[in-house]
Amino acid sequence: MTMSPRLRRLVLTAHVTSSVGWLGAVLAFVGLAIVGLTSHDARTTRGVYLVMEPAAWYVLVPLAVASLVTGVVQGICTAWGLVRHYWVVFKLAITLVATVVLLVYMETFGVIADVAADPTADLEEVRNASPLLHALAAMVLLLAATALAIYKPRGLTHYGRRATRRDLA
Amino acid sequence: VADPQADSDGSTPRWVKVAAIVAAVVVVLIAVVIVTGRHEPSRHGTSGGAAPGAHAR
Repeated sequence: MTMSPRLRRLVLTAHVTSSVGWLGAVLAFVGLAIVGLTSHDARTTRGVYLVMEPAAWYVLVPLAVASLVTGVVQGICTAWGLVRHYWVVFKLAITLVATVVLLVYMETFGVIADVAADPTADLEEVRNASPLLHALAAMVLLLAATALAIYKPRGLTHYGRRATRRDLA
Repeated sequence: VADPQADSDGSTPRWVKVAAIVAAVVVVLIAVVIVTGRHEPSRHGTSGGAAPGAHAR
């Protein structure tokens, strides 16, 4: 499957924008999580954990899905393919795993927000290191995906080698 | 025209092997954490937090 050069550039722009935007949003969550763990102000601490769930639904999830979808379209519709090059396989796996974990983690965001909304819950009960740990893990994964996309380390998969020989024949 | 990403000897690049080993180790560690029941939101809390499910929706 091929795309016109104009459409290919449009999809590439959407992919780069959503992927880098996702990384930026995760960095914002790292900052929020640090504020939640360190702030001495009760309203700020509760507010941080209350805002995480809607912020994730409105920013993280759409960017993750957009990054995954545009990445798959890029792979299918360009010569890079989805499973021809090891760097593409690894990047796809990273994006897929990060998106699935994020979707599963949305329930945890809800539980954490419920604790923050409970006026009887002690502030130390509201504080939770889980968002920081998960945001840091996501940051490492997305930085690795970004590095793969930029450096494109060489290496054809077995399928890629067969496809290349077939193309040359 | 030969693919510029193709390896001259056709073997799996070293970076792929290293990355695969790192990924496998991370997966095993995460699996151990999940299986041993240490992976719950309250477990990450600085003060131990609420009991799991105490604030379930």
